[in-house]
Amino acid sequence: MNEFAKLPDWAAIIIAILILAGAATTLIGSLGLWRLNSFYERLHAPTLGTTLGTGCIVLASMLCFSVLQTRLVLHEILIAIFVTVTTPITLMILVRAALFRDSVERAETLSNMHDGSHPATSELEVNHSRPPEAT
Amino acid sequence: MPYESFLIAGLLLPFVGGCVAALLPTNARNAEAWLAGTVALIILALLASAYPRIVDGGVIRFTVEWIPDLGLDLSLRMDGFAWMFSTLITGIGFLVVLYARYYMSPSDPAPRFFSFLLAFMGAMLGIVLSGNLIQLVFFWELTSLFSFLLIGYWHQNAQARDGARIALIITSAGGLCLFAGVLIVGHIVGSYDLDRVLASGEAIRAHRLYVPGLVLVLLGALTKSAQFPFHFWLPQAMAAPTPVSAYLHSATMVKAGVFLLIRLWPAMGGTQEWLWLVGSAGLITFILGAFFAVFQQDLKGLLAYSTISHLGLITLLTGLDTPLGQVAAIFHIMNHATFKASLFMAAGIIDHECGTRDIRRLSGLWRSMPITASLAMVAAAAMAGVPLLNGFLSKEMFFAETIEVHDNSIVDQALPYAVTLASMFTVAYSLRFIRDVFFGPASTELPRTPHEPPFLMRLPAELLVVACLIIGIVPAMTIGPILHAAVRAVLGSTLPKYSLAVWHGFTPELLMSIVAMAGGVAVYFALRPYLLSGIEGPPVLRHINGRRIFERVLVTVSWRFARWLENILGTKRLQTQLQLLAVFALMAGLLPLPVRWAVTDYGSASGFDPVFALLWAVGVSCALGAAYQAKFHRVAALMLLGGAGLVTCISFIWLSAPDLALTQLVVETVTTVLLLLGLRWLPRRIEKISPTERSAGTIRWRRSLDFVIAACAGVGLATLAYVTMVRPAPDSISRFFVENAYTQGGGANIVNVILVDFRGFDTLGEITVLGVVALTVYALLRRFRPAPESIPIPEQQQAQNVYDDRHPDRQKGDTLKDAMATPALMMALLFPVIGVTALFFLLRGHDLPGGGFVAGITMAVAFIVQYMARGTIWVEAHLRVLPVRWMGVGLLMAGGTGIAAWLFSRPFLTSYFSYVETPVIGSIPLASALLFDISVFSLVVGATVLMLIALAHQSMRSHRTPQAREARTREAAPMKPAK
Repeated sequence: MNEFAKLPDWAAIIIAILILAGAATTLIGSLGLWRLNSFYERLHAPTLGTTLGTGCIVLASMLCFSVLQTRLVLHEILIAIFVTVTTPITLMILVRAALFRDSVERAETLSNMHDGSHPATSELEVNHSRPPEAT
Repeated sequence: MPYESFLIAGLLLPFVGGCVAALLPTNARNAEAWLAGTVALIILALLASAYPRIVDGGVIRFTVEWIPDLGLDLSLRMDGFAWMFSTLITGIGFLVVLYARYYMSPSDPAPRFFSFLLAFMGAMLGIVLSGNLIQLVFFWELTSLFSFLLIGYWHQNAQARDGARIALIITSAGGLCLFAGVLIVGHIVGSYDLDRVLASGEAIRAHRLYVPGLVLVLLGALTKSAQFPFHFWLPQAMAAPTPVSAYLHSATMVKAGVFLLIRLWPAMGGTQEWLWLVGSAGLITFILGAFFAVFQQDLKGLLAYSTISHLGLITLLTGLDTPLGQVAAIFHIMNHATFKASLFMAAGIIDHECGTRDIRRLSGLWRSMPITASLAMVAAAAMAGVPLLNGFLSKEMFFAETIEVHDNSIVDQALPYAVTLASMFTVAYSLRFIRDVFFGPASTELPRTPHEPPFLMRLPAELLVVACLIIGIVPAMTIGPILHAAVRAVLGSTLPKYSLAVWHGFTPELLMSIVAMAGGVAVYFALRPYLLSGIEGPPVLRHINGRRIFERVLVTVSWRFARWLENILGTKRLQTQLQLLAVFALMAGLLPLPVRWAVTDYGSASGFDPVFALLWAVGVSCALGAAYQAKFHRVAALMLLGGAGLVTCISFIWLSAPDLALTQLVVETVTTVLLLLGLRWLPRRIEKISPTERSAGTIRWRRSLDFVIAACAGVGLATLAYVTMVRPAPDSISRFFVENAYTQGGGANIVNVILVDFRGFDTLGEITVLGVVALTVYALLRRFRPAPESIPIPEQQQAQNVYDDRHPDRQKGDTLKDAMATPALMMALLFPVIGVTALFFLLRGHDLPGGGFVAGITMAVAFIVQYMARGTIWVEAHLRVLPVRWMGVGLLMAGGTGIAAWLFSRPFLTSYFSYVETPVIGSIPLASALLFDISVFSLVVGATVLMLIALAHQSMRSHRTPQAREARTREAAPMKPAK
């Protein structure tokens, strides 16, 4: 911890606050993943960590090393960029899979209710599984 | 060139000739015979020129040092005895070549025959000229090998194959025994040099390992010389072409055994063990061989048993353990070689001209082939021991020797009677050979009309028979000096008195000869009715078939026994194998504990860091969770494993090992993905045990056993790791690396410098192993047959397909494509980014965390991401990845970088570094190790991607199979109602 002792107090305080904030946000996100009820709700919780949490810690790191080395240290921006680029993809794949599974299961229950006749293709199902080309 | 080097020339010439002979066209019989004959004649000329040097007990030596520290040299040594044998080998070899030229049919492939024959000649010369026992054993085994190849020359013939196999097994097993025996002798003497071994007879006989050594050496010699009870391979070997039988199985190779006996007699003989072991083997073989020979119906069979019998006679002479016995043995070796080779040639001529060699069918050949008949008759008379022929002389010596008192036991006293009896049978089968084949009414039902063979085919037999006559009539003038030189080489300067005169007066041995003659004629006529009945083999004893016993033993040992062991010890179940492996590893780990437990220095955990402890708590719980879930919830286990891996990475960073952390991170990533791909193929596990099941108890028991084993192994390994890690680090060579990495390796990253420079050779080995592993994974998956329940497409994919099928505007796979559209785009864009990162790691590796290995795996991640985003088919249509080529380039480059050091006359893999001025970037350090690192990179990329591809293709292949089958049935279905 010796080299961090060289930090000026103002910087140390800011950095500490940022790190604690980031860690707290991430922890809240993790708790949410654990506690929330449905899959779709739970999906939202960890994003706290990947956005706000990461952001705070990245800022803290940039500040810390810039002050220590008395020059701008911006490597951490790369981390932010990559996390921003990749996390939504994970999210997207997960949601898509969940939506598709729901629609299939619903179709199965519907077809069971229709007593084995041709499975219904309800509007809802199509909308779920095949959203407009956006995103 | 020193004169001695003619030895090596003479030894190499047959092998060179054999190689040349193998390259000639198939039908070049004449060229082959010229070549082989010339080789034999040149060696004969060399031998003739050497004669004056060895005649008075001189020895010619030629040594090339090979591994002098181990006493292994190429050492050639020729004394009178070796000279006599070499002359026999090359002389008869020359005649056999001449004979074979006419004997072999134009349709037989000549190059194979003559090249093996020449190579055999070389191997045989190697045995007799060896001045080193190990070298002798080497040539010994070589003769077994060429004998095998020559017996099996007509490999389309089952009999030839069987005979070759039996001969090889017996003689090479004997050769192995001989090898062991020679090692013992070498151990006793302290050298394998023949001169020193011969000089230390006292030490050998007094040593406590004398008996085992003697038995092993005798096993070698007796198998080779077809002595009882190993004699049965020789009659089977008669399936060989007759020139081979004449050369290998009567004149030379089978004599190697007695050669060795006589050669080692000064060193190992002269004891009760020798007398009894060698003597009794020889006596039994002599009597049994002669007895069996009378009853053979096949000409070559008769000659084979007669050869066995005569070899028994020679062995018996050696075994009688007197100098005079050795003289008689050497003399009989020469005589037997001349008359037996000519008899085989005569038998071959008869077979060749009549189309059969069955004595029952042959008769009265005197009329159609008088010259051959007279040759065969003279040779057979020599075999029987008729006076004025060479056989008579050595037989007289033999009889004289048996009359001598040796140890005065009952056997010794009975010996003269026993050998006279056996000699009667010798006379009987010789008489049978002459009378049944050449006299009587001319046979009419032969496959071919018999007539005299061409002159040159007869010539070899004629020369040999003339030799029999001349030696028989004027022995002292012809064979005397040669015999003297040979005997002197074996026995040293104190020679026993022996006489080569034809007439010794009326002596007991002459009486024995007369009795044997008369008795032999009587035996022949007494047995004639039985022989004419056409039964093959002697009464009663013919049911004891050595070959059949051997085959049965072979089958029992190699097949039944193996099956039995396999049934008891083997299993095809992977679970059992893994269980055994784990248990054995556990035991091996526990083994040193009782010894080392007390001395283990546990050290003390210095300083307790709560944060690190917390980190490890997370890691340990992840690992435990992974183990807990591993059986029934594999995906969960895999995720937990990833967690444990991440904790490991952080630990590495914590302990200031960024290099390891980086590597661990990418390895974790790739491993997780590859394992995920593999998971799909594992069979499903059912966690619940239904209580109604009968085997419920067994299952529960098995699971708890597995749990105990796993827990023990895990706890044991964890303890071991902990104990090792908390011990104070021993003062190892790590300081050397820290101090010299920059000054000598030119890199600031010590880990990388160690990998590519200090320990570059290790790395070369490791990447080679990695390549081998990748290829093995690929090969195994090519032949992978998944469990039946894993073959169909996974549920999720089926649901997607069903959904796509239901909608007319969708094609199969659209759901997946839709879902992956955006991620795929993103992943495709990431490809160059990851690639640049990999390059970055590679280039900076020598000075900063990075290196070829990390870079390679990173690059592989880039490929994996593409496969995940777009699927195998798309990726392979758009991106040509040739992993095998990557691997090949990597290995070649790594080897090339190593070899390049040779150009600067430095050792393999010496690296070089310097600073290079570049325009923009300035001075940059450049080490040849970078090239090596690039090759590591290339190989790692190739290996990882190859494994990935193997897994990816696996899912494509197995989809195809059931679909194809379905499609086929669908096509076939509409056809059926039509019929």
